[in-house]
Amino acid sequence: MTMLHAARVDLRVIGEPRLLAGLDQGRVDRQRHLWTHGAQPDLTREAYTHLAEAVGLRGRGGAAFPVALKLADLPAKGIEAVVVNGSESEPVSRKDRLLLTLAPHLILDGATGLARALGAPHVLVAVHDPAAATSVREAIMERDDGLAIEVSDTPGRFVAGEARAVLSALEGGPAVPPGRRILPTRKGYHQSPTFLSNVETFAQLAVLARLGSRGFSSTGLISEPGTQLLTIDGAVQRPGVIETPTGVPLEAVLKFAGAEPGPVLLGGYHGRWLPRTNALTLQRPDVSAGIILALGSDTCPLGEVHRVAQWLASQSAGQCGPCVFGLASLVDDFDRLVKGDPAGWHDAHRHLGLVPGRGACAHPDGSARFLASALEVFGEDVRLHLAGGGCGRHVKGVLPVPGGAA
Amino acid sequence: MNKLEIDWTRCDGHGLCATLLPDDVVLDEWGFPVLRGREITVGELPHARRAVLACPALALRLNAPAKRD
Repeated sequence: MTMLHAARVDLRVIGEPRLLAGLDQGRVDRQRHLWTHGAQPDLTREAYTHLAEAVGLRGRGGAAFPVALKLADLPAKGIEAVVVNGSESEPVSRKDRLLLTLAPHLILDGATGLARALGAPHVLVAVHDPAAATSVREAIMERDDGLAIEVSDTPGRFVAGEARAVLSALEGGPAVPPGRRILPTRKGYHQSPTFLSNVETFAQLAVLARLGSRGFSSTGLISEPGTQLLTIDGAVQRPGVIETPTGVPLEAVLKFAGAEPGPVLLGGYHGRWLPRTNALTLQRPDVSAGIILALGSDTCPLGEVHRVAQWLASQSAGQCGPCVFGLASLVDDFDRLVKGDPAGWHDAHRHLGLVPGRGACAHPDGSARFLASALEVFGEDVRLHLAGGGCGRHVKGVLPVPGGAA
Repeated sequence: MNKLEIDWTRCDGHGLCATLLPDDVVLDEWGFPVLRGREITVGELPHARRAVLACPALALRLNAPAKRD
């Protein structure tokens, strides 16, 4: 175990540090990066596909799509760009901006290595955190890849982090998801085939290229070996980013971070409340982008959920009717439910059925998943609130909401 | 594989689709279409195409979307 302190985010490691290796003295420059990790080997496209398949590598942005399948979906020729999605729009997540800020060369190794293997002339890094953007720009000056690497600032809104919204922003368009469901692997950057993935995915690729499938598989699950980055926050003594082997028990991570007993949200504000925390191991797809939020036991759970619902509604891009009207209705439903109105509970259930699958992106789906799991897991609190007296606890704001919604 | 789909970024809830294709589209409480999601048979295709052309927002479409993010 090591403990590091940088960029106001604590870093910790359970087991062997890979992505966080060498970060104990802050940002890793080119020289220190090479000293820690060694040089990036030049691999072919076939080698990357084979490696990604052998270790079952999945995208680390939340959707957990297998990297090997994404590579296989690209055409043989004419791949225009490799895009590093560093917009990290989930409000609690810190892992991506932390990697961009402290280990930019690892990410650039992963992205440029893959771009060369794919014959893609452009590498684009979409970032919305100014410190992260500066670090990546400095890193580009420190190295010579013979590729056009560009850093673009994207807006921080929740749905702006969606893959196709990022592509639209990179082309100078609005940072909102387009209405047609077109895959970036077919029509991405400037309508050309594009490989886009999350920041951590590229760091994992850089580690994988060096270690090979056998070395990469020396830790973690057999089905999905290696390590993962988690962000833990809420009612915990030691919030921050943790690198762990895949498949680590949730209980171990909660204990490690000093979490208070109480409900746990896995996967961020598009994730779910867990009915119990024991006997659960952290792996994709459930762990999503690696966000763990401990609620503790002295705040009103439904009131906390209502605050987050307000924020989720405010983050709709405003393009799709069911998302705009549905999320606004759900905010109102939860408000009435918290105040003890049974009609609020009934309306919430009906509206939760009308939101998923009815938008250009997964924002309505994820928001509904979060709210539906709250109604399930906080059944006892629902009963207390509907009985008229509330649950006897105030809303303390344990769940972070950007801008601090009312 | 012919299915109706909606470009939600375009749909303004005019509701013509629910009138023209009552077996496949109903409207929710906000006036936006809820699709039944079944396959459109070959015999129904001409009528479904007419409904697609009638959508004032050009939001109603026919065909199988690629699934994945």
